[in-house]
Amino acid sequence: MIRSNKILKYVLKRLAQGVPIILAIVVINFFLLNMAEGDAVDVLAGEAGSATPEYMAELRKKFGLDQPLPVQLMVYLKNVVMLDLGYSFRHEMPVNQLIFDRFGATALLMTSTIILAVGFGILLGLLAAMRLNTWKDAVITVFALITYATPLFWVGLMMIVVFSLNLGWFPTSGMENVAAFYEGWDRVVDIAHHLVLPTITLSLFYLALYTRMMRASMLEQYGQDYVVTARAKGLTERRITFVHVLRNALLPVVTMAGVQVGALIGGSVIVESVFAWPGLGMLAFESLFARDLNLLLGIFLLSSILVVAVNLVVDIIYCFLDPRIEVD
Amino acid sequence: MKKILASILFAGSIILSSISAHAEKYGGTLSFLVQPEPPTLASYVSTSGPIGLVMPKVYEGLFDYDNDGKMVPMLAESYSITPDGKTVTFKLRKGVKWHDGKPFTSADVKFTILEVLKKVHPRGPNSFREVSSIDTPDDHTAIFNLDNPAPYMMRSFSAYESPIVPKHLLEGQDVKSASLANNPVGTGPFKFVEWKKGQYIRLDKNENYWQEGLPYLDRIVGRFIPDASTRTAAMENGEVLYAAYNAVPNIDAVRLKERDDIDVTTDGYSMINPMALIEFNTKEGPFVDPAVRRAISTAIDRRFMIDTIFFGYGKPATSALSSNFSATNLHAQMPNYPEKGDVGAANAILDKAGYKKDGNGVRMKAVLDIIPYGEDWRRAGEYLKQAMGDIGIQLELRYEDVPTWLKRVYHNYDFEMNVNYFYQLPDPVLGVHRHYGTNQIRQGTHFVNSSRYSNPTLDALLDSGSKEPDAAKRTATYKEIQSILANDMPVVNLFELQFLTVYNTKLKGAYGSAMGAYGSFREAYLDD
Repeated sequence: MIRSNKILKYVLKRLAQGVPIILAIVVINFFLLNMAEGDAVDVLAGEAGSATPEYMAELRKKFGLDQPLPVQLMVYLKNVVMLDLGYSFRHEMPVNQLIFDRFGATALLMTSTIILAVGFGILLGLLAAMRLNTWKDAVITVFALITYATPLFWVGLMMIVVFSLNLGWFPTSGMENVAAFYEGWDRVVDIAHHLVLPTITLSLFYLALYTRMMRASMLEQYGQDYVVTARAKGLTERRITFVHVLRNALLPVVTMAGVQVGALIGGSVIVESVFAWPGLGMLAFESLFARDLNLLLGIFLLSSILVVAVNLVVDIIYCFLDPRIEVD
Repeated sequence: MKKILASILFAGSIILSSISAHAEKYGGTLSFLVQPEPPTLASYVSTSGPIGLVMPKVYEGLFDYDNDGKMVPMLAESYSITPDGKTVTFKLRKGVKWHDGKPFTSADVKFTILEVLKKVHPRGPNSFREVSSIDTPDDHTAIFNLDNPAPYMMRSFSAYESPIVPKHLLEGQDVKSASLANNPVGTGPFKFVEWKKGQYIRLDKNENYWQEGLPYLDRIVGRFIPDASTRTAAMENGEVLYAAYNAVPNIDAVRLKERDDIDVTTDGYSMINPMALIEFNTKEGPFVDPAVRRAISTAIDRRFMIDTIFFGYGKPATSALSSNFSATNLHAQMPNYPEKGDVGAANAILDKAGYKKDGNGVRMKAVLDIIPYGEDWRRAGEYLKQAMGDIGIQLELRYEDVPTWLKRVYHNYDFEMNVNYFYQLPDPVLGVHRHYGTNQIRQGTHFVNSSRYSNPTLDALLDSGSKEPDAAKRTATYKEIQSILANDMPVVNLFELQFLTVYNTKLKGAYGSAMGAYGSFREAYLDD
């Protein structure tokens, strides 16, 4: 009871600390993005073929781009505090709605990727460490080395060539079969089917990372004094590995997984564009080239909140893995 | 006269529909590539390519244009022009309904032209600049009153160029931000159903379409796939059946063409007339002297660029006008446009103009900006760097992203030489005049006279070219215009781009019209 109270207090404190960090990120992003040449009006008019200077001035006025930067920033911050991320003039839609529509796809891809990468990474690392210097260890290590070194977009394209074009097992792209418009359970199966290749592509790199880390971490723990003690007490190797070593070895892997949520969003830009996955990564990429700064700032804000939140969750997982870690 | 014209047009439409009224199959979903994803669906505010791929299926124009450029009646059944060319009367089709059930009337036409296209469309103010008022004596007659004859206007009534939009859904609102932008309601063969951002746009068959028996397809789905290799794979896999405007890159199209189930065509772009060119800064820097610009045009091996970089798809430019204008007798072959390039002649021009080579064989240095629309253009820049090196012009290449590039060239005029491509459109008044007229030096406006070339003689010729109703006189005027431009070269035309449409052979009837992918797909069907 006291412990759970402590955790709650800790969470609230961390959340309070997160707010100024996120605001600082917003301000820095705002100025960085505004350093780029050209604005949303230039892009819109450029795509449209031609537009009169009066029309472009009118658009700038409507978007508020004729105001000085500090005024634009103040307006933006005021909106953010009211949980309004502004309006995307390019899409003629509120940013909140655009992000909300796309967040699901990214969350789905990220969750399945993390589960696959962390789950299999731990499993393979564990296996390699338990079968140290056997052929199994060698195969796992080489596999991890190769996948770690291969660029994501190439893996993605090869997946498409092998599993879509040659074998015909999976669709090349998209999140669902648009010609069919499935409903209910069929739709879930359809989306899962489309999810397979992007998930594997995005997880391979992280899978390799966690495998190597888990293996090293296990080996380090095996050398610790408490393992010698446990052996001297006559515990079985199985019990030593799963009850004592594993929990300690997991800590660095979990830390790393938490830190990498941010990087995962970056990686998803590539995977989303190769597989036409309708997530936030693509949206961010497009809005940068369209100078749709409201939208881009909104996506950055959401990802910084995500990183802060995931790190908090990781810290809480710590105290369950290792009760000696105090929260306060 | 009026009646004869009307009956000719009407007979034409019957023949057209009877030719195709055979062997078609009903039903099925056509998924095709839309690249990139459009920002909105307001085709009355933007002529952006991806919007043009989707919206002519929903909104219609007064006319369509067939492969020979002839007008095909759509929302207008016929038209007549008074001998002085200043009054154009359109007879509108009866019994046409908007997708929400309201009847289509002449009030919609008047509102669309005067309140929408003439005010907020990028090209509308130019296409309809002579239209001073529109009379609507009854629901099915629209009389355009013009200040001057405007023969080119009759080329701009397609669904892509001038979509007719519902007055009852736009009137009294801010046209640019009306909700119609993302929820279009038209009269076309397909109705807008939904737009899943990042995934697809879905259009379903309009069961109450005014053209009896059309369309054949149940549904059209426009898909967005950002990666070019994946687009090719989706085409190969049969997940999408149609990819226009080089959505599948030339290099892949050449490979896919070998397959039995996939074909490639260059048809369907004659109303667009894309032309690759170099714009010069004629006000400062090394390209102030027309002799230097002429030398550059003379040195370029246009055939090499087309064959090596664009896989043979293209036609060398032979004047400032596309050879597609031969149909209307406006195009004329001009000197200084050698197909294979003539380095010797180019060097001679520069020697004569007094540009000496230094010890390294360099006469002058310049920076070349490149349109940031893909790898092909980078290759084009690399070729130009080499070719210019042969005549002693040392180029440095500069690549930037679209907003930066637009700002540099059209806003700051901070460039020397810029590779770009322009749509010449179905008439020079609509697509070509914007390069050269003094009144087209409009700082901050994209794709106009960024060279800041100004020539009063040419201005006068451009003006009479746009108002001249007599075809023979117009031909003579444009010959003179092309001759002046071939000498002054404010812009070097490189080659006429040929865009590619890659399609699955089970899709029939979706190509062959002058509007191509910007057409309505009303006669497209699937045949397995």
